[in-house]
Amino acid sequence: MKRKLLPVLMLCMIVFALSACSGGIPAGQTGGKPAKLVIAARGGSHVDAINSVKEDFEKENNCTVEVLGLEAADLKQKISLDSQNKVGAYDLAMADDPWMPELFEAGIFANLTELGYKADSDFVEESLAIGMHPYGKGDIYALPFAGNVQLFFYNQKIFEDNKFEVPDSWEDVLEIAKKVNGKDGKVGYVIRGQQGNPIVSDYLPILWAYGGNVFDENWNVIVDSPEAKEALNLYIELLENGANYEKNDIVAAVSDGKAAMSLGWPSWYISGETATAAYAPIPGKVSDSSKLYATGMIGNWMMGVTANSANKELAMKFLIYVTSADCQKKAAEYGGVPTRVSVFTDEGLNKKYPYFMTILEGTRNSVIRPRTPLWTDIETAYGAELSSAISGTKSIDQALADAKTAIEAIMKK
Amino acid sequence: MKKSTGIRKKAFPYLMTMPTVIILVLLTIFPLIFNMYFSFTDYYYLSPKNINFINTDNYSNIFKDVYFQQALFNTVKFTVLAVIAETIFGLVLAMFINSIKNYSRSMRTLTLLPTLLPPVTVALIWQIMFSNNYGIINKILSTINIKEINWLMDVRTAFYAILVIDIWQYTPLAFLLIYASLQTVPKVQYEAATIDGATSWQQFIYVTIPNIINGLIMVVLLRTIDTFRLFDKVNILTKGGPANSTATVTQYIYQYGVKGLKVGYGSAAAIIMTLFILIISSLYVNKSLKSGR
Amino acid sequence: MCRLNIRKVLRGLLVVVLLVWTVFPIYWMVSLSIRDDAELITSLSLFPKSFTDKHFIRLFRQNSFSIAISNSLRVTLISLFFSLIFGLSCSYVLARTRYKYKLRGPMLFWILLVRIIPPIAFALPLYIMMNRLGLMHTKIPVILAHILVNIPFIIWFMMGFFSGLPEEIEESAEIDGASDLQLFIRIVLPLVLPGITAVGILSFMTSWNEYIYGVIFVQSPSQFTIPLSLSTLNSEQELAQWGRIAAGGIISLVPVALFVVFAQNFLIQGLSSGAVKE
Repeated sequence: MKRKLLPVLMLCMIVFALSACSGGIPAGQTGGKPAKLVIAARGGSHVDAINSVKEDFEKENNCTVEVLGLEAADLKQKISLDSQNKVGAYDLAMADDPWMPELFEAGIFANLTELGYKADSDFVEESLAIGMHPYGKGDIYALPFAGNVQLFFYNQKIFEDNKFEVPDSWEDVLEIAKKVNGKDGKVGYVIRGQQGNPIVSDYLPILWAYGGNVFDENWNVIVDSPEAKEALNLYIELLENGANYEKNDIVAAVSDGKAAMSLGWPSWYISGETATAAYAPIPGKVSDSSKLYATGMIGNWMMGVTANSANKELAMKFLIYVTSADCQKKAAEYGGVPTRVSVFTDEGLNKKYPYFMTILEGTRNSVIRPRTPLWTDIETAYGAELSSAISGTKSIDQALADAKTAIEAIMKK
Repeated sequence: MKKSTGIRKKAFPYLMTMPTVIILVLLTIFPLIFNMYFSFTDYYYLSPKNINFINTDNYSNIFKDVYFQQALFNTVKFTVLAVIAETIFGLVLAMFINSIKNYSRSMRTLTLLPTLLPPVTVALIWQIMFSNNYGIINKILSTINIKEINWLMDVRTAFYAILVIDIWQYTPLAFLLIYASLQTVPKVQYEAATIDGATSWQQFIYVTIPNIINGLIMVVLLRTIDTFRLFDKVNILTKGGPANSTATVTQYIYQYGVKGLKVGYGSAAAIIMTLFILIISSLYVNKSLKSGR
Repeated sequence: MCRLNIRKVLRGLLVVVLLVWTVFPIYWMVSLSIRDDAELITSLSLFPKSFTDKHFIRLFRQNSFSIAISNSLRVTLISLFFSLIFGLSCSYVLARTRYKYKLRGPMLFWILLVRIIPPIAFALPLYIMMNRLGLMHTKIPVILAHILVNIPFIIWFMMGFFSGLPEEIEESAEIDGASDLQLFIRIVLPLVLPGITAVGILSFMTSWNEYIYGVIFVQSPSQFTIPLSLSTLNSEQELAQWGRIAAGGIISLVPVALFVVFAQNFLIQGLSSGAVKE
């Protein structure tokens, strides 16, 4: 019995192993079968949105569309790695807007203008500009797939109970935070202070409201300017009258009523028709009398045709299709935020999704993060120093000075 | 007759090791050379035409980098603490479960569960437990009047929170390996010791430990190598913060090498990391190379 | 009499502490997977207030979890099979000095090196290699990568077990006229079953939960393994889907736990089975 078992087991294994060898058609070969488009997308709602609209396209064009959903960091790595292959495994790729300068430099996207694409003025200008290289003026390489702009979120009930007005200056925000914090176990203002991208995204709007920035027009590093120090000071004061939570907790707290205010992305609070918290544009000035600046951070997801795709024309056709008004209306049901003015201003949709106008306004007044291919490294270093500042391990002056040194070192490379 | 068995005898070891050798040659020669070669260049994957030799610049830049120094310090500190804790707890667990007569199989399976979970899931579950917004741990602490702690975002506790998760997750691994080693201790030695009147503690020191010492060293070595690679939990839960207190070497390689596709830089960092671990484990390595075991 | 009771109490206490420590987070995970969406965004109580199977269903419907499970099973079992065969054979030869093997030293160092080098360093060159060889659309790269991950550990750990066997075992078998291979399979292996079990369990688990090689070789959603599928549930830009994350963890746990239960039969056989009379 034992003797027979072993060879049988081995036979099974070999059969099993051979079945592992087959797996699908290698990239680029279609051999008479219908064409296949592979999209490298960010996993989650975006995949659901694309999958919900692709059937019509597949039928009309006799092709199959496969969507590979990956987590953001993996997505960036995969499309970067694949860009160096002769024939791309992906025909379309999604990218987050801060990555665009780096990806443009590497030539990952195909030039859509050269392929015959004409700019569509229905797209919100600020969103379309991200896909142009150079920013805002050059040829189009990617189209805005999902819109997103940071907004100010607050708990309706706390505001009503205390008869607060929606703040339009950061000093007002601080005042409200002071009044709410600590009473009934409530938290005034929640910062998203995790080291890295979270704290940078959370702090930049305040920096901008003070008139500061990471770079000036000549790309000098000004993270330690007097405005920046004041902004960081305010940020720490907000923390003292509030708490430091991670993203999921922030949403839960503000929705629930444990916390009064926080900055955030609409996709966190809004899915489909319901918003779990009230929202407003981010305050653009420090006090009622100071200068008004644009402070809404834009964060669109773009989609483009890969430069080494074997099916560029078909891919561009799909790209135009999936960013069309009809598809964006459908995507809204999955929590997708549109990027076309017509969709934002559509009456029927506005009744269903009242936040559309706020996001459109926010996008029109949005600020984009610095357009440098080195932004990833800069954000890492900046985030580490900001985290030190709010943890108290470094003084504000020291932290910002170190940030400046680190960023300058990165820019030199 | 004698000749053929003689040849077969000589060939036996080579035949037995051949599959492994083939796999190793196929899969490791190229990567090893790749890393060593490119660590002396400034290879950025997205501009392959622009590779320059920069000699040891990568290495010196890494050592000079404050973030790397912090990451190295954190990693060593974490590894030492985690390995000591996991080995001791694993040993205690193994001894304890070895002595249980009823339900030992279920106890063993239950004990192993933490290690069997996907690392990402473990990190996320502990994240929600450690949350300072109604996280269950803070809730339970508040019932005994301890104020809520921001476990993963407070610079004083983040490091230790990750340490606790690691201990929870990997002590079962130490347990399993030590438990298996315990099975090879010949029962006759215990019987002889009992006859000689040894107490349980003496039996532990003079019978158990010498027999499982190889297993123990193996566990220490293995956990040292693996803990030095701490990355998943840190990347998901704290991203190296707050204030770089949980930054680790692998995370550094990921942030500055892999994520930015700076292959040259990343390779140099990986080589530095490898050399470090080699040095730490050199004691055991020397011993096993010499005795040919 | 009194002493016995105190011991029993202490033992009992130890068991309780151990169980709570080990099982509570797992209980928490189970409770998250069965709570309703509405309850998940509120302050969670110790015991679930609602029950739903929506998260599990969503995993299979929306995240194609069944494909991931099938892929994970195939990759893990195949790589485990080959890793064990290759690893055990090599380990035995390296451990027993009676076999004159000239490459012993270099092999030991090489295997150690492969174990120490962080997988990140291997991932990119292997990606380049597999791409050139045109294997990217098959499961071969992942399986080979998993074998590469597991073999060094298997070899090392088993060396301790093999070298713990007395020399007489092989000598007495030789006298009986057995060949080296028969000796290995029929006599030596059964004696180190606890080691093989431990190593098998850990290799299964390592392969099952492996992520780095999985993600770098994946080209299409039909190749997803379980860890890849789970990673898309926790995105920086969307809310974490706690229910699904927890459900995914449980489903992932089941096959591994089953394997552990099954393998435990071999865990407590040892030298005491009396192959060699002392």
